[in-house]
Amino acid sequence: MNFEDLKSQWKKQPKAEAPENGAKSIAKKINTMRKKQLITNMVLGATLLILIGFFFYIMAYRDQTVLWGLVTMMGALLGRIVIEIYSVRRLGKLNIGLDARQFKNRMTAYYQKRKGIHYILTPLILLAYCGGFVRLLPAFKAHLSGGFYTYIVVSSVVLIVFFSIFIGYHVRKELAILKTLKET
Amino acid sequence: MRPYQEQFEKLYQVHYPKVMRLCMGYVKGDADLAKDLVQEVFIKVWKNLEMFRNESAIGTWIYRITVNTCLVQLRNKRIGLDTASMDQIGESEPVEAYDYQQHLRQLYSCIDSLDPTAKGIILLELEGVPQKEIAAVMGLSHEAVRVRIHRIKNKLTKCVQDEL
Repeated sequence: MNFEDLKSQWKKQPKAEAPENGAKSIAKKINTMRKKQLITNMVLGATLLILIGFFFYIMAYRDQTVLWGLVTMMGALLGRIVIEIYSVRRLGKLNIGLDARQFKNRMTAYYQKRKGIHYILTPLILLAYCGGFVRLLPAFKAHLSGGFYTYIVVSSVVLIVFFSIFIGYHVRKELAILKTLKET
Repeated sequence: MRPYQEQFEKLYQVHYPKVMRLCMGYVKGDADLAKDLVQEVFIKVWKNLEMFRNESAIGTWIYRITVNTCLVQLRNKRIGLDTASMDQIGESEPVEAYDYQQHLRQLYSCIDSLDPTAKGIILLELEGVPQKEIAAVMGLSHEAVRVRIHRIKNKLTKCVQDEL
């Protein structure tokens, strides 16, 4: 058996015909993706507005500890969202029509930059968020019932652990992509 | 129908078979995974069609998108060997069909053992794409492609022979 035999075997495979409504279903899928993106933006915007509203509603600016606790938490959250939006846009702008070598180089540069984000910015953001939360604890203790205070502490710790695992999973996935790109 | 959609529909009909076959080669013949990849490829074609500047042939551009998409997506997909898509081949000649399936399965498996760049090069070669076009898709010089094809051909043939 030689390569020409392999080539003829390859060519003998049945021709895959395009599904009848394939092109239309792709147009539909793109519309759905656009709608989902719009909904995500609206949810993020609404969350930010609610947080700002809450900030003024409880007159957080009158108590320095509460003020800085909330500002740190909101800043950390906002920072993370801005970084993610920036990264998604950067990835979306990568020209997929480049030749494979140029594309691979740009993808490697992108994931290399993401590695910097994961190893430096993400831990800092997480620390800032936790710091802000810890700073708020005395105010929570002073104004909330014992049961509710315990609930807030326990649920926040669970939430932070959950998000850390979630972020860790995605970081590992991206690092695996970077490893594959470098090995190629 | 709007002209953009019409143009896309034509591209989809014409290029679907070769994109599908290329993707099948990247996922060891798993038709379901290949279909997901093909959908991903054409979503990117739709999104980037306006940016296509005729600097290369549209077929070359679609091959580039396919190779790049497969490279990025493979890390996220679990690849197995889908025999169902091969079982339809030659149903009227069971013995020959069985042999053919075995050979094809082996070929897919050997292609899968190659690194992604070699995989892209040899899949395009198996499709009968001219070496100059393969060079344009992969971003390598014509000479580099010629040399690499020669090496990969030998490696692939040896792999299939050893496994049979």
